[in-house]
Amino acid sequence: MIRVTAMNRKRFVGDWAMLGTVFGLILFGLLMIYSASNYTARLHMGNAFYYVERQIFTVLLGTAAMFLMMKLDYHRLLKMALPLYGLSLLLLAAVFVVGTASHGQKRWIYIGSIGFQPSEFAKFVLIIFLASICGAAGSMMKKWKGILLVFLWMMPAAGMVMVTNLSTGIIIMGIAFIIIFTASRQWLPFFVLMGLGGGFMGVFLKLASYRVGRIEAWLNVETHPKGYQTRQSLYAIGSGGLFGRGYGKSIQKLAYIPEAHNDMIFSVICEEWGLLGAGIIAALFMFLIWRCLITANSAPDIPGALLTMGVTAHLGLQMLINIAVVTNSIPNTGIPLPFISYGGTSLIFLMCEIGIVQNIAQQGKTYIS
Amino acid sequence: MHIKIYHRRKMLIVAAFIVGIGLVLMGRLAYLMIFRSAYYQSQADALHERERSIKAARGLIYDRNQRILADNKSVCTISVIHNQIKEPEKVIRVLSEVLSLDEAKVRARVEKVSSIERIKANVDKALGDKIREYKLDGVMVDEDYTRYYPYKTLASKVLGFTGGDNQGIIGLEVQYDAYLQGIEGTILTTTDARGIEVENTSEGRVEPIPGSDLYISLDYTIQSYVQQVAKRIMEQKEAKSVSVILMNPKNGEILAMTNEPEFNLNAPYLLPENAETDAIQDALNQMWRNGCLNDTYEPGSTFKIITSTAALESHAVSQNDRFYCPGYKIVDDRRIRCHKISGHGSESFVEGLMNSCNPVFIETGLRTGVQVMYQYFDRLGLMEKSGIDLPGEASSIMHQIDNVGDVELATISFGQSFQITPIQMLRAVSAVINGGKLITPHLGVRIVDAKGNMIRLHYNEEAHVIGSEVSDTMKALLEKVISEGTGKKCFIEGYRIGGKTATSQKLPRGSGKYIASFIGFAPADNPEIIGIVLIDEPTGAYYGGTVAAPVMREIFENVLPYYLGQWPDIESDSGDGNE
Repeated sequence: MIRVTAMNRKRFVGDWAMLGTVFGLILFGLLMIYSASNYTARLHMGNAFYYVERQIFTVLLGTAAMFLMMKLDYHRLLKMALPLYGLSLLLLAAVFVVGTASHGQKRWIYIGSIGFQPSEFAKFVLIIFLASICGAAGSMMKKWKGILLVFLWMMPAAGMVMVTNLSTGIIIMGIAFIIIFTASRQWLPFFVLMGLGGGFMGVFLKLASYRVGRIEAWLNVETHPKGYQTRQSLYAIGSGGLFGRGYGKSIQKLAYIPEAHNDMIFSVICEEWGLLGAGIIAALFMFLIWRCLITANSAPDIPGALLTMGVTAHLGLQMLINIAVVTNSIPNTGIPLPFISYGGTSLIFLMCEIGIVQNIAQQGKTYIS
Repeated sequence: MHIKIYHRRKMLIVAAFIVGIGLVLMGRLAYLMIFRSAYYQSQADALHERERSIKAARGLIYDRNQRILADNKSVCTISVIHNQIKEPEKVIRVLSEVLSLDEAKVRARVEKVSSIERIKANVDKALGDKIREYKLDGVMVDEDYTRYYPYKTLASKVLGFTGGDNQGIIGLEVQYDAYLQGIEGTILTTTDARGIEVENTSEGRVEPIPGSDLYISLDYTIQSYVQQVAKRIMEQKEAKSVSVILMNPKNGEILAMTNEPEFNLNAPYLLPENAETDAIQDALNQMWRNGCLNDTYEPGSTFKIITSTAALESHAVSQNDRFYCPGYKIVDDRRIRCHKISGHGSESFVEGLMNSCNPVFIETGLRTGVQVMYQYFDRLGLMEKSGIDLPGEASSIMHQIDNVGDVELATISFGQSFQITPIQMLRAVSAVINGGKLITPHLGVRIVDAKGNMIRLHYNEEAHVIGSEVSDTMKALLEKVISEGTGKKCFIEGYRIGGKTATSQKLPRGSGKYIASFIGFAPADNPEIIGIVLIDEPTGAYYGGTVAAPVMREIFENVLPYYLGQWPDIESDSGDGNE
């Protein structure tokens, strides 16, 4: 069946609805980045378009990468899974040595003036890696041993990410959990794992005291000094009401919300577009999830379906955690809103993943037809 | 490796899980944005909005002829906002040129990285407008009011001045502060997290209510003339200070009040060159002090008016009673001298008053008795503050009535051993000559608010504190003091003047320091104006009759035609020589 797809490679038969939604979100993201950042950008950078310009560059780069991935047969990607995983481990290890700190955490590697987050790369690679080994494991995935082995394989990467960046670590664990869960026939091990994961989280939170401070801030968001950012986000969301203040009219973006174009951009969307606008954005994400589910279902093989589910998990979890943070539903942690938040590495890999899913969609459709 | 049913089921579960949590979060979002919206909106508004006050224009002070004595002047405050400046060199050049400031100083301010930097305050509006015309980015010209006194030193101690917050510091500005101040307005503006105002956001605005205008009884023309004379005399006599009050004795309206040296109201913190600089606040307080009411003095012989009134009305003496002055009088074991060491010899009570003879008044006082004397002090308002509408009035310093022995009574009778303020003295004498009505000296006449509503100010008056017969007698006697007695130097041909001189020795006795004073009124039979002149520590001649009386004559000569609206009644002369 690989041969069959190869024959039809010339004609694009991807998921137009998914692609359209993604670009819609990205363009809306550019609009919102401008709105959220122009005041502070003019103030601090002397150029109101500073962040938008950079993001447009990222989008162009990401689009190119995405089309590359769309053309690239995902099976070739699956074959490169192990070397990619090795590279990712190397980069993650490198962060500890040559990493640059941002907001108190070493998460970045700079080559010249271009920053790169190895943890984002690890996310991307792990989706491919897990889809590859779960697919290869076949009937092994029915056994406890197989499930545990797969988890053990990814732990070095997940562990290294988690040390410096708990939230990305949790997302990686979540993605892995969903891929393995989908791959396996078993149910019980996953309930056990969920329990274990919860316990592990508790211990980790107790150990890392600065995160406990965040929990106190979460519970007392109106008064706790560390609750400032979330408090500002809530003010913005509440000020939006049903229909919002209108585009560009957010006041909370005037340096009240720190880096409003970043992780907190959803609160500016709420303030300017109201519940209606925020609901539409959320609905677009749901639509995207649904299109991914369709693709996964029509994928030509199990690794393709697992890859698609990994991407779905990545997208879905980030979106959920981001919205949960800005609405103070969970303690504050910095996760960008997919396709909309300002940020290079994250967007480029997300677009690559959409490219992969498009390739799966092409092959799947061809296969079905 | 086909996708199995369980794969599909699990994929559906994952998707449903994501969508399910998503819906829960949407529910939370809806709760925040609908039910908590009002709360967060108000919290956010409280955070964004800054209340900036708009100054209310302070009420003006007008004299009796609607001449503005205390005005408001539009001034500008020039400031720069560092990150809005586009042409720093041009800004520096324009600001230093127009404001005539040192270029390096302006440069330092312009180049300083701060949210807003003030270049100069209290800039003339014309200059502010000029800067505005350049339309420089990042240069702010804010308009503001400042108090302005067009006649600088005119009645400085009466008018007073204001501080930076539009509050009165001394004088009428303090007394009528509540009326003059008005009510500040507010502008509600939206600011960013640093508190900087954001343009193009809707502003809530509450207009300020201007202060009410105060109309006072002071007459600019009389005041400026009186002040000019007082200043000249102070310089001529090298005196410490010269005080003059002119008042309408019938209703207490003050026409002029000066206590030279006055100070420039537009620069009230500028001390005179010879001032002691080690205690600046004391020196300032000294400079702002209004001796007419903030300080007490021993009235001396002018007080014989009071003693006479008490004695005549209680019939302790009559006008034609005979006295003998050997140049002194022995009271108990004290020998109290008359100013005329050789003595006035035999004289009637009237002659005693004309001669200002101490032994006559000692005898008069003793005959009247302390009870009656104090009763009259009380009636004539000497035991209380005059009630003038100026802050900081001093109280009189009197003996306790139980402690007054013959010696004390004797000295009180000719105006020594106690202290009162000049305004109290003037008030008491006014009651004596106006038919017995105790008035309240005052300046404020009416208050008119911005809408034109008028409040007429009322003051206490107490009629019949003495009988009109004695009042008439006293007017006649005091006119004789001028026409034939010690007050001759205040005689003006064509006018009927009454008055009394005084020479008070300052404490400690024998220091050689005196206050020469004079109280005069005109026309003597129906007084329309009463005045007091006090020359504090004159050098050379220090007798009230010699030093103070001519000052009052000079003032009366010029003020009476203007104020009474009639030229002196001289048959041989049309009066040209009097102006």
